[in-house]
Amino acid sequence: MRGDLVPGLAPTAGTRSLPMRGVRGRLPAQGFAVTNAERHEYTDYDALHEDYEKRGWTDGLPVVPPTPDKVERFLEAAGLAPDEVLGSVPTREVVVTAEHAAINAVMAGCRPEYMPVVVAAVRAHLHEKANCHSTTGTLSGASQVLIINGPVRKAIDVNCEGACFGPGFRANATIGRALRLVVRNVCRAIPGFLDRASFSSPLRYSFCFGEDEEGSDWTPLHVERGLAADQSAVTVHSTMTFTPAVDFTSRTPEDVCETLLTHLRRQGVFTDRFLGDGQNVLFVVGPEHRRYFTEAGWSKDDIRGYLWPRCQKPGKGERPVMLGGPEGMLIAAAGGPGMAETWILFPHLAWAITEPVDTLRRS
Amino acid sequence: MTTTTNGPIVGLDPTSGPLERRDDRELKPRPQSLDGQVLGLVANGLGRGEPFLDALYEEIATLSHPTGAVRVLKSSVSVAPEPADWARLSSEASVAITGFGG
Repeated sequence: MRGDLVPGLAPTAGTRSLPMRGVRGRLPAQGFAVTNAERHEYTDYDALHEDYEKRGWTDGLPVVPPTPDKVERFLEAAGLAPDEVLGSVPTREVVVTAEHAAINAVMAGCRPEYMPVVVAAVRAHLHEKANCHSTTGTLSGASQVLIINGPVRKAIDVNCEGACFGPGFRANATIGRALRLVVRNVCRAIPGFLDRASFSSPLRYSFCFGEDEEGSDWTPLHVERGLAADQSAVTVHSTMTFTPAVDFTSRTPEDVCETLLTHLRRQGVFTDRFLGDGQNVLFVVGPEHRRYFTEAGWSKDDIRGYLWPRCQKPGKGERPVMLGGPEGMLIAAAGGPGMAETWILFPHLAWAITEPVDTLRRS
Repeated sequence: MTTTTNGPIVGLDPTSGPLERRDDRELKPRPQSLDGQVLGLVANGLGRGEPFLDALYEEIATLSHPTGAVRVLKSSVSVAPEPADWARLSSEASVAITGFGG
C-alpha cells in the first residue's frame, strides 16, 4: 500500500524531499527534461530502495533508481515531452503522462529503447474499452497480457519462442513490469486500496511476449487488426483466467480445435452493455499444434471458422461464448517445441487493444 | 539486495502525486443509526446481488427503522454507476450500501 494513502505507512525517516520543479514550483518543460515529479535525495541505493518500498512504490522486487538523467534518456528514446498525455482513468481522476511511464519503466529495469513499446502498452491499456477501472480493481485479480508484433521484437530481443511466458528475458520481463508499475503507482491500483483482488496473480508481475512471426506462415496478429506488417505494435489483453489446452493425441486441425472447444465451452465468455460485442479470447498456439494446422493449410481464419459456429449453442453444463463474432477470437503463434499445447486466455471485462509502436521521434 | 553507489542519489516520485483534496465534496460521517434514513442499495448486476440487497434491507428493517430504499442496478457490471444513478443516490438516499454478486 502506498505510504501517503494508507495511515501507518510513511516515508523512511531521514528522507530528504527536494523542491519540485514546474507546476507548484516546477520549472517549465524544456525538451525532455523531467518537470513534474517530486525529487527525493538518498545517501545511497539501499536507502532509496528501502524508502520506495516503504512508500509502496514497488511491486515488492528491487527497482532501478529513477534518476532524472535516466528518465530523460527514456523520454528522449520515445521522442516524447514529459507532459505528453498517454491516457487517463476518469473514475480515479488520474491522467498518465509520458513522464510517469518513463519513471516506472526505469524502475522496472527497461532499457531506453524499450520505451516506445512501454508507451504503446500504456496507451492501449488506457483505452476506454480496455477498462483499467475494472480490470485493475477487480476481485478476480485480472492480469494484463502484452503481445508484441513487428520489427521491434527483433530490435529489442523480445522472446517469442521457448519459455516466452517465463522469466529470463529482459524485454519480456521489464516491459510487462513497467505497465504494471504504472498501473500501481499512477493508476492507484494498490492492493487493499483500489486493487481489491482476493488472491491476485503472479501474472501481475509481468506477462509479455512476442508473436513468433518468423516461425509461422500465419498473418500476424497486428496485421489482422489493421496495421501494416512492417509496423510494430503492442496488443494489451486483460485476462481473468487461462487454460493451457494440452493435447498430445490429436493429429488433425479439427481434432485440435475440438480440444480447444472443450475448454472454451467449459469456461465461456461473459460480457455486459458497456463492452458490447468487443471482447476477445486469445489463443496462443504452440508449434506442436501449429504444425497440424499449417500442414493442412489452415489459416487463422480457418481456425476461427471452425470454432465459432460450434461455440454458439452451449449444451448442458456448458457456458456461452459472448463475442461479437469470430474476429473476437485472437490467435497468436508463440512458444517452443515439445509440449503440444495452446494457451487460451479468457478476457476480464475489457477489449484487447492494439496500439502501434511509434519508434519515430516526434520532437 | 545490496548496491553500492557513491554519494547522494536523487530518485523521482513514480506516482501521480497525492490525492488532491476537493472542496466541492467531502465524506459524510457514518450515521450513528439507520433510523429515519433512506437506504441507497447499489447492485452491480452480477449473480444474485439484487435479491441479496432486498433481503439485507428487510433484515435492517427488523433492527432499525429506515424510511425507504432507493434501488440502483448498474447498467454494466464493469463500470461505475451512470451520472443519473449518482444523481438519484445523492438526492434521494441518505446512506448507501453497495452489493457484489459474483
